[in-house]
Amino acid sequence: MNLERESFNSLKARVLTQTRGTAPSTLNIVKLSAILSLGLAAASWVYVIAVENASLNEFFSRENLTYATGFISQMLGNNANKPAFLEAESWRNALFLSYETLQMSVLAISFAGIGMLLTVIPAARTARDGSLTLSRTWYGIVSFFLIRSVYTLSRAVPELIVAMIIVFIFKPGILPGALALGLHNFGILGKLCAEVVEDIDLRPSRALRSSGASTAQILLYSILPAAAPKFLTYMLYRWEVIIRTTIIVGFVGAAGLGRQFKLSMSWFHYTEVTLLLFSYLLLVVFVDLISGFLRRLTR
Amino acid sequence: MLKVQHLERHNRTIVSLLLIAAFVWSLSAVEWKEGLLHTGGINAILKIIGALFTPDLSPRTLQLAVTASWRTLAYATTGITLAIALALPLGIFASGVLCTSPAVKLPTAGFFRGLLGLMRAVHELVWAWLFVAAVGLTPFAAIFALAIPYAGILGRILADILNDVPRAPLEALRSSGASKLQLLVYGYLPISLADLISYTMYRFECAIRSAAIMSFVGLGGLGYQIQISLEDLRYHQVWTFIYFLVLLVILVDLWSNQLRKKLVT
Repeated sequence: MNLERESFNSLKARVLTQTRGTAPSTLNIVKLSAILSLGLAAASWVYVIAVENASLNEFFSRENLTYATGFISQMLGNNANKPAFLEAESWRNALFLSYETLQMSVLAISFAGIGMLLTVIPAARTARDGSLTLSRTWYGIVSFFLIRSVYTLSRAVPELIVAMIIVFIFKPGILPGALALGLHNFGILGKLCAEVVEDIDLRPSRALRSSGASTAQILLYSILPAAAPKFLTYMLYRWEVIIRTTIIVGFVGAAGLGRQFKLSMSWFHYTEVTLLLFSYLLLVVFVDLISGFLRRLTR
Repeated sequence: MLKVQHLERHNRTIVSLLLIAAFVWSLSAVEWKEGLLHTGGINAILKIIGALFTPDLSPRTLQLAVTASWRTLAYATTGITLAIALALPLGIFASGVLCTSPAVKLPTAGFFRGLLGLMRAVHELVWAWLFVAAVGLTPFAAIFALAIPYAGILGRILADILNDVPRAPLEALRSSGASKLQLLVYGYLPISLADLISYTMYRFECAIRSAAIMSFVGLGGLGYQIQISLEDLRYHQVWTFIYFLVLLVILVDLWSNQLRKKLVT
């Protein structure tokens, strides 16, 4: 999660360098944004309360309290003759599902990573204007805009919606879930990593070019080594996010903890839900630890 | 020094190899033999991709899309405002800047950091489903489901930013006799405000996507429309709603970029 900050800080630095020297706009965007966000917040709350009939009193009513305590006590296994989290069989099942979910998340980040690696170089602004490989071509410009719009599209569509579409095409299992997660994260990873490429020190490339290196050689010996560590950290960071989302794509029929969660919810097997949630949390912590360890290793 | 660098490069190779091994391992989980596609899956792909360039632009669909977009935006906004309201106190406690002695600071900061961690470990849709199972789907259930994980993330970031605040201005305040609370209000918060706003804007963009997928537990909006159109196999309509979602996200992205440029200079 710290990486989120890191990427944010690098973004800030980029914006700083980009805007240095530009004339201040006459429109005060800060003031405008303040008014706009306050107006949007007010309009949204009014809409939700007046039109959608949201009522905080109703939400925190005594009735709901009874329902909620009933639900929680069911989750804790009161009035169930055999809570799932005390049975070895259901533990084994949950463990297997966690294993499957982990595989799905690894497959998803691999898809996203491979897709990113194949497209990231032409997606960098420095590649479009030719300063990266010191050659400017029309197809470089076309592919820049093409890849960037694919990034934006796949980034804007949530995983769950991609998954809903993909289960039309693929049989349920690990693959459709991984594809849905991979597609969404491909857009995010691509955008983040294209920025890494844009921030690379260009002097080694120039030195290579002047000593007669081809574009492929520049990519291999100057750009890739400089960008690889950041690529790895971003991939690991997105992996942490993906593991939290695997449960979601499971809801629409992909395999893993999510699918079982949905089934247990529909059958009102609430003790099983508790067990699955517990395994999910363990999995999230486990992946965070592994990813943190690997990130320290690359640093 | 050279040796350390060498070791680092070595580590990177190890991590890369580990990742490749993990990829191969995950590929083994896919059941290749039984066929991956539905019968007619290819047909469905072609139809969906074919509809990509011809979204349904009839007035009725557009009107539906506009209302659905507003609904998604409204839920995202209410969710994020509630998240900010929750994140402010939780993040301040988690940073421990109000505590006077380390004996109090460590356990309270640890407790609140753990709480924030738990809030964000569970995905918003899982929260939503738990709420629906417990008390049924009310607008506030959806808003809280959105607000809890987002408060977890925003609170964590707030705590981190507060801990990173440069010491010098704070020392100046402290030496002029400011209390811990005054330090917070006149020192910590103003210094970190720009960072906080830009980060919150980024999260707002994510909240729009999250609000859209709340359709899965029955909340109206763009996600709901996409789901209905998909079930009716109206692919042209699906793309119309997806384009509206993309547009909404791009608009917020542009806004936050403009604001960020202004805030950090």
